[in-house]
Amino acid sequence: MDPARTPLGRMLLDEITPVVMVLRTPLVEEACGKNGLSFVEMLSPFCSFSNIDVPVRTASDQPYRLQKFKLRLFYSSDIRQPDVQVANERLKDVITQAGEKDLSNLSSELPQVDELLSSSESDIMPSWFQFFNKELIRTMSFSDHEAFDHPVACLLVVSSKDEQPINRFVDLFNSDQLPSLLNDGAMDPKILKLYLIVHDNQDGAPEKAKKFHNEMRSTFGSNSSQLLCINSSQGGLVEHLQNPWAPFKTDASPTQRLGGFLNIDDFNEIKKLTQDLASKHVIPYMEEKVRVLNQQVSATRKGFKNQIKNLWWRKGKEDTPDASNGPVYTFSSIESQIRVLGDYAFMLRDYELALSNYRLISTDYKLDKAWKRYAGVQEMMGLTFFMLDQSRKEAEYCMENAFNTYLKTGPTGQQNATRSGLWWVEMLKTRDQFKEAAGVYFRISGEEPLHSAVMLEQASYCYLLSKPPMLRKFGFHLILSGNQYKKSDQIKHAIRTYRRSISVLKGTTWSYIQDHVHFHIGQWYSFLGLYDSAVSHLLEVLSCGHQSKTTQEFFLKIFLQTVQKTGKACQVMRLPLPVINSSSLKVVFEDHRTYASPAATGVRESLWQSLEEEIVPSLPAARANWLEVQSNFTSKPNKNSNMCIVGEAIKVAIEFQNPLQISIPLSDVSLMCELCARSDDADSEANSLTAELQNDEATMLTTDRFLNSDMSSFALSNVELTLEGGGRKMVQLTVTPRVEGTLKIVGVKWKFSSSVVGFHNFVTGSVKKIQKGGKKNKQSPADSLKFDVVKTVPRLEGFIQSLPEKVYAGELQQLTLELNNKSHLSVKNLKMKISHPRYLNIGNQRNLNMDYPACLEKKTNSAEKTILEPHTINAPRNVFLFPEDTVVQGDTSFLWPLWLHAAAPGKVSLYIILYYEIENPESFMKYRTLRMLYNLEIFPSLDVSFQISACPSTLEEFLVRMDIANKTSTRNFQIHQLSSIGYQWEISLLQPTDSIYASPTLMSGQAFSCYLILKKSKRLDRAEANGSPVCSLTVSDIQLSTEGAGGKMYDSSLSPVKDFHNVERLQHGKSLEGDSNMVDFVLIYWPLDSETDPGVSDRPSLFSHHECHCSVASTSPISWVVEGPRLIHHDFSTSFCEVTLKMALYNSADAAASVRINTLDLSRNGDAQSRDESTLASGKQAGWYNVSLDSEIKVTSDVSGIQMKPLSSDSASPFVWTGSSSTKVRLPPLSTLGIPLQICVFSPGTYDLSNYILQWSLVLPDDQGNHGETRPSSGTCQGYSYFLTVLQST
Amino acid sequence: MATTACFIIVSRNDIPIYEAEVGSAVKREDVAHLHQFILHAAQDIVQDLAWTTSAMFLKAIDRFNDLVVSVYVTAGHTRLMLLHDSRNDDGIKSFFQEVHELYIKIILNPLYLPGSRITSSHFDTKVRALARKYL
Repeated sequence: MDPARTPLGRMLLDEITPVVMVLRTPLVEEACGKNGLSFVEMLSPFCSFSNIDVPVRTASDQPYRLQKFKLRLFYSSDIRQPDVQVANERLKDVITQAGEKDLSNLSSELPQVDELLSSSESDIMPSWFQFFNKELIRTMSFSDHEAFDHPVACLLVVSSKDEQPINRFVDLFNSDQLPSLLNDGAMDPKILKLYLIVHDNQDGAPEKAKKFHNEMRSTFGSNSSQLLCINSSQGGLVEHLQNPWAPFKTDASPTQRLGGFLNIDDFNEIKKLTQDLASKHVIPYMEEKVRVLNQQVSATRKGFKNQIKNLWWRKGKEDTPDASNGPVYTFSSIESQIRVLGDYAFMLRDYELALSNYRLISTDYKLDKAWKRYAGVQEMMGLTFFMLDQSRKEAEYCMENAFNTYLKTGPTGQQNATRSGLWWVEMLKTRDQFKEAAGVYFRISGEEPLHSAVMLEQASYCYLLSKPPMLRKFGFHLILSGNQYKKSDQIKHAIRTYRRSISVLKGTTWSYIQDHVHFHIGQWYSFLGLYDSAVSHLLEVLSCGHQSKTTQEFFLKIFLQTVQKTGKACQVMRLPLPVINSSSLKVVFEDHRTYASPAATGVRESLWQSLEEEIVPSLPAARANWLEVQSNFTSKPNKNSNMCIVGEAIKVAIEFQNPLQISIPLSDVSLMCELCARSDDADSEANSLTAELQNDEATMLTTDRFLNSDMSSFALSNVELTLEGGGRKMVQLTVTPRVEGTLKIVGVKWKFSSSVVGFHNFVTGSVKKIQKGGKKNKQSPADSLKFDVVKTVPRLEGFIQSLPEKVYAGELQQLTLELNNKSHLSVKNLKMKISHPRYLNIGNQRNLNMDYPACLEKKTNSAEKTILEPHTINAPRNVFLFPEDTVVQGDTSFLWPLWLHAAAPGKVSLYIILYYEIENPESFMKYRTLRMLYNLEIFPSLDVSFQISACPSTLEEFLVRMDIANKTSTRNFQIHQLSSIGYQWEISLLQPTDSIYASPTLMSGQAFSCYLILKKSKRLDRAEANGSPVCSLTVSDIQLSTEGAGGKMYDSSLSPVKDFHNVERLQHGKSLEGDSNMVDFVLIYWPLDSETDPGVSDRPSLFSHHECHCSVASTSPISWVVEGPRLIHHDFSTSFCEVTLKMALYNSADAAASVRINTLDLSRNGDAQSRDESTLASGKQAGWYNVSLDSEIKVTSDVSGIQMKPLSSDSASPFVWTGSSSTKVRLPPLSTLGIPLQICVFSPGTYDLSNYILQWSLVLPDDQGNHGETRPSSGTCQGYSYFLTVLQST
Repeated sequence: MATTACFIIVSRNDIPIYEAEVGSAVKREDVAHLHQFILHAAQDIVQDLAWTTSAMFLKAIDRFNDLVVSVYVTAGHTRLMLLHDSRNDDGIKSFFQEVHELYIKIILNPLYLPGSRITSSHFDTKVRALARKYL
């Protein structure tokens, strides 16, 4: 690419051109002023030539032709270093103007990153950058260290109206108005002078001017004298199609007509004048000068000899202390001449010559430590390299060197550094090294805020344009620049840069960045008074949970202030405070299902449905035949939407979440709803509405509608709350429809800090879910928020009066269920079901007014045993049907007793379902259900266990050990009574009450045991006479305490206790049809002291503990006992002693058993006995031994055990079994049989007759063969110890 | 120890997953965003540099005034970035290597979803201890 066509090339061809100094008289200005122009302005447009075509010959002999050329005209007063202050003011004006122009764009949409990337450089960059840069470079012009700004020629202009124009010419140049450059010797005062006389044609014919012109020719020479006639047009109304002055006059007002008196002749004359000036005077003069200077330089500096000399001379100078800026060079010094030579060559495009001279001079300046000049030369070298388009590296090196050297020279060098930096940047840009260019921009950004802001912004665009684009750097530098703009009060520019950066930084998760950008934009908008835009940006920073608390407060404060300044109610679609947890949305509505408490709504629907199954009539079953089918269904208008009833509230729960650490106040939290009254056109309206909801703007519109809509058709609840920092809260909102129709819950709205109204739309918030669930044909969230409001139907409200939350296990309480019917219609056909009949049971209407617990007392205190009626042990009904005539009238309440029994410790949820039908046949719903949920916490109270073992001494008697431990920490209990419930079992104390248990009161933590005897009842016969022995249960009670209830006994067979007992049996047992080997115990007790825990009921109550299915036959169904004498006197001198014994066998099983008794020899006795002893010993360890034996015997057995061993070892058997060694009998079920046994004793002593084995097996009927019972059907038992003492009779 | 040091872990999709001011200077609220800006902008350079070398430690790749950005890129293109004002290349390298090990342990946690924020307080304590040791 031709370097001259690049931006930098064009800039250089524009800026580094010969300067012509203009000296004029005031009358010249006056003539030009008629056109609204100064003299320089008038000539300027004609000073750049695109096709001048002048042959140029410089140092070499080869001439070449110049095509483009430009002259710069300046008044002599302007040829000096511009004042920095003034220049800065001018730059500031430029920026401010640009900012004002951009104001219109401030609120418009910003281009996205992709657009930015695809658009070209000139589109992205603000146009005033070019202008700014040019102005900036101009502030550095006319420096004394470089020659290209030094005037090449001087144009002296005199008007024809001036008196004695020839003298005026002389005066002009001799006055002391000449620029300091000429006066202080920085440049040669002998410069090319040109003389021009200007004639205004309006002042008359140009004869006088021509006369003066001839005079000038004779005085100054014909070549350098010119005549210019202007203002030939009389009317001053010449219109120029393309006004050539317009680009030069930036501040011209449009009404002013520029060049109005100049017609086409004047144009041509001016053109000719400037062309002459350039081609006939300036260029030839420069050529000449270049040649002369070149010869001088060659003579003094070229060649080996000169170089050595120069070096030597400079070395010698090194010792002298230098001024800070090096030695002063005048125009006559060889260094200045070389520089002038280089600059002239550069301006004449002889870059080779220029470069060689720059090189030559640069080493000299370096050696002289004239840093500023050195830097200037380096700068020019860099530019020359660029224009030659060779050695890029060297060009860059030169520019960097120049830049750094300028910086070294101190504050004055800073501006020069900026200029060289700008050129350097342009050079890099031309070569597509945008990244490096951005770096240079950053380096020249400097201290002054406005200046650095512009440089940083330019740097950011370089990052954008670099390949690949560095977007993050782009964003960062925009922010930096915006920050500097803000510092210099250019808020509009600051906003512009920040907004640009949003397009890059949008969507980033770098939270601090987001907050910084949005907060500052918001703040600045509010400075400018654009509060709406400010609010929209400040909204973005509100949910800044990661910031510190003070920052959060600050953000919030600014936000609220801004909102206040807007002066109107602020409505925000997506207010980020508080955060709404969309997934937590829960809608509770009541169609035919109604709920008694909020807790009941939280239960899974499937759980209720499983409970409801038996109560609610299922639809298919209800319809009688398929012909009359659809009449029921057609009445349902819309199957998809839910149903709700006029006057009944729909509850919506939604979670609000506060991401901040500060608490935020919310008020007026309510739902946004829409209710279309049922009519024909309701549908179409609803449809149009849903269509509208598609986009956000429409939602805004509809939300407006919700705010303004009258609230007559439904009532909303209002909630006020304060969310603590970091807290989350479920908010319950309700809407109650008042007319029939279609109700739609659209969203929720709230007022934040009583100034900002926020909305949240439920449906749009969960659009994604709809798409996901599409396949499953699930009900979409939108549908779940749509309701059909139907006519009012009665609704029962129900609760259980004074149901405690915490009870101790075993407590039995009477409760009352209260049902209220608020409507005018009555309901009938009540049914009820309770999920846990073990804990809660339905009583009888009779119970309602009874005095509890006295009603449970036995009417007589007699010991008569109650026999439970067989049919009462039916399985507890699943569904309780209230009596058929039960009707709950409108506006009445209805009471029904319930019984609570805290059966087992733990936490229980009691689900209760009440079903009722509506009497009005026209009602839309036939029935409704009421769902109640109560949570009960049951603490352990008494831990009761029973152990039963057969009594070895007697058949059909069992020992019962009852262990009771008080598990509570505070409460004491009084044990009152124990009842056994079983088949003909009768319980009694082992010893009389008062002797053992002085006070059967259990303090907390205390435990005690007592022993009881369980006997077969003697009433067996009577029960058998009834024909159903198996089904009759007997209750026998014993009183364990003499204190308390005045000796009154409670009847365990009365309703609540009996019912709960049955449930307990079901809970534990396999079947209700227990067998006779099972016995149940009911322990009745009550709390003794009145100091109660808070929350635990302290009403008078009984406690009952039910222990079911205690097995009597613990090991085998066969039990036996050996009967016979214990002590025998016999005279062994006559014969051995024969002893006859009887074994009584009892079969407790309900099947016949075959029993075989084998007597064994004594030889195996030792073995058998030791085993027997070991079992005996282990039994002792467990603390469960035969208590019926006297302690005396027990001791003997121990002793005999020791004695027997030597006996068995040294002698033969002391006794033998006689009679049959093996007996086999068949034992019918539940019967007793006696078997005779006989032994022979040969010597006196004590004998243990346990050496026999009893084998038994049950003969089960085939069909019962595998009944699932775990009890063994056969077994082998070792004999019991039976001690027989035989003494020698005397 | 460096007076200013901001350590940040950036996941491969440019989301910061761990941030810590580990400098000895008192933490200032108003520079938090500046640190983020510098580190965020430095990623443009990391993006280019990461593919030019096989080393994980990229040394000081970017600077802003007197703050330097050092970067360590893991094999999975998670970037450990440190903004600091001290010149201690060896210390920074060891710091990065040890934090990398910690980070690998975090990744091995089956309950940690790669690319999500690191909330482990143990990790935080360890990183700060390493910063005291090396920086």
